[in-house]
Amino acid sequence: MLEVRNLHAKVGNTEILRGIDLTVNAGEVHAVMGPNGSGKSTLAHVLAGRESYEVTAGEVIYEGKDLLKMPPEERAREGVFLAFQYPVEIPGVSTTYFLKAGVNAIRKHRGLEEFDAIDFLALIKEKMKLVEMDQSLVNRPLNEGFSGGEKKRNEILQMAVLDPKLAILDETDSGLDIDALRIVANGVDALRSKDRAILLITHYQRLLNYIVPDYVHVMFDGRIVKSGGKALALELEDKGYDWIKAEVELAQPTIA
Amino acid sequence: MRSSNQLHAAVVELIAHDDARIKYSTVQNWYPGDKEGTGGIYNFVTKRGKCLGKNSRISWTQVETGSAITWKYPSCILQGENSVGEFYSVAVTNNYQQADTGTKMIHMGKNTKSTIISKGISAGHGQNTYRGLVKILKGATGARNYSQCDSLLLGEKCGAHTFPYLEVNNSSSQVEHEASTPKIGEDQLFYCKQRGISAEDAVNMIVNGFCKTVLRELPMEFAVEAQKLLGVSLEGSVG
Ligand SMILES: Nc1ncnc2c1ncn2[C@@H]1O[C@H](COP(=O)(O)OP(=O)(O)OP(=O)(O)O)[C@@H](O)[C@H]1O
Ligand SMILES: [Mg+2]
Repeated sequence: MLEVRNLHAKVGNTEILRGIDLTVNAGEVHAVMGPNGSGKSTLAHVLAGRESYEVTAGEVIYEGKDLLKMPPEERAREGVFLAFQYPVEIPGVSTTYFLKAGVNAIRKHRGLEEFDAIDFLALIKEKMKLVEMDQSLVNRPLNEGFSGGEKKRNEILQMAVLDPKLAILDETDSGLDIDALRIVANGVDALRSKDRAILLITHYQRLLNYIVPDYVHVMFDGRIVKSGGKALALELEDKGYDWIKAEVELAQPTIA
Repeated sequence: MRSSNQLHAAVVELIAHDDARIKYSTVQNWYPGDKEGTGGIYNFVTKRGKCLGKNSRISWTQVETGSAITWKYPSCILQGENSVGEFYSVAVTNNYQQADTGTKMIHMGKNTKSTIISKGISAGHGQNTYRGLVKILKGATGARNYSQCDSLLLGEKCGAHTFPYLEVNNSSSQVEHEASTPKIGEDQLFYCKQRGISAEDAVNMIVNGFCKTVLRELPMEFAVEAQKLLGVSLEGSVG
């Protein structure tokens, strides 16, 4: 589904992604971990098409198409979804209104009939159960005055409604209390399917108890420096990142 | 299109007696001139209202999307005790349009109240000015005013200007003023696009959200019309 090859990207004059290789197949869940500032969010935004990042080398093939050629809204309509680490506020626009515009733009692109108000309300109501969300929240201006946890829940609600093929979740677990973590993580796990791939950016292994990944990758300094199975996350939890840094530094001369 | 300018000069006067309520709504979309700012209407309007009676109320609601130049300051003299004056305004300027608009709320009577909500949106080379006066006279014991003047900027070449004048002569009164000048952020646009929404629809959505507190004061059929007009006036303002 997704094939990232030697992806380099910079913002301003700083190179942040320095050669990412990653293959993700439909049905798989990949966890991406790594220290603060290693480039995880940058990777997520570059895949989603944020214009402020400049891709300087490499390629990304998504469903057989050149992803980097598509504008961000087209990527979304083709099934790429990003749950933001820092969801954005839009004053005066409710989640319901916003999401209806999104889902209908996507449906139109796919040649499906657009939802009318009644169908859409039925859909969103059903999906709200998945993350145990309250009606009042979706009627409020999008993310405005939402607590950290409410914002994250709202992101997953949007994922459930938009039904993406590739979902990139950027630290959806941070800012959630213990109960909310369980609810949201179970919600995401319920959205696993053989047609959907999930890229899960997280700092915490506890999320991976709920959403057991097929692969775990460690990012460091703009590269994926180690990949493994679920056990790798446990090892990181136990030992931190220092040993990986040491490994990378040892390997450095040969990489060059 | 016509390259000369035409003048529209209207005068409206309202008087509200005891317990009367007047709601005066305007949606204005005169010809704004072409993209280079040639032609268009000069819309110079006088609107004033007097809350003469006790418990009277006058509400001015306006959506200004057209005209090359708009000068307009619907005002209220709040003479009757407990009378209320309201001004709700959305003004959009694109290309080379200029809107200079606002209100005067003159509090004379006891316990008079006024609310001012002004939303200016500028795009292209458009200039938007809020110019308003809140005057509390000596006898206006317990008078209260709340003003909120927000300006939204779309692009680098447009401008927003806010000139609120406050004159308070009674120490028991309460006057509150809030102002903000957000820019449609790259992050807001990207968030919308990431959900499949086109840039143009995203701008419309953000602008309508920004104006919501004013638009909901309009009668239903006006509100629908106004929403469409906002979209039309801002067409092509974001790439
Ligand atoms: N717009 C920007 N301007 C300048 N530097 C940036 C910008 N965006 C990201 N960076 C830098 O790029 C590096 C990677 O940032 P990124 O947000 O991708 O890290 P991250 O792995 O997601 O970190 P965290 O775990 O803290 O979320 C950081 O050093 C960051 O400061
Ligand atoms: Mg991050």
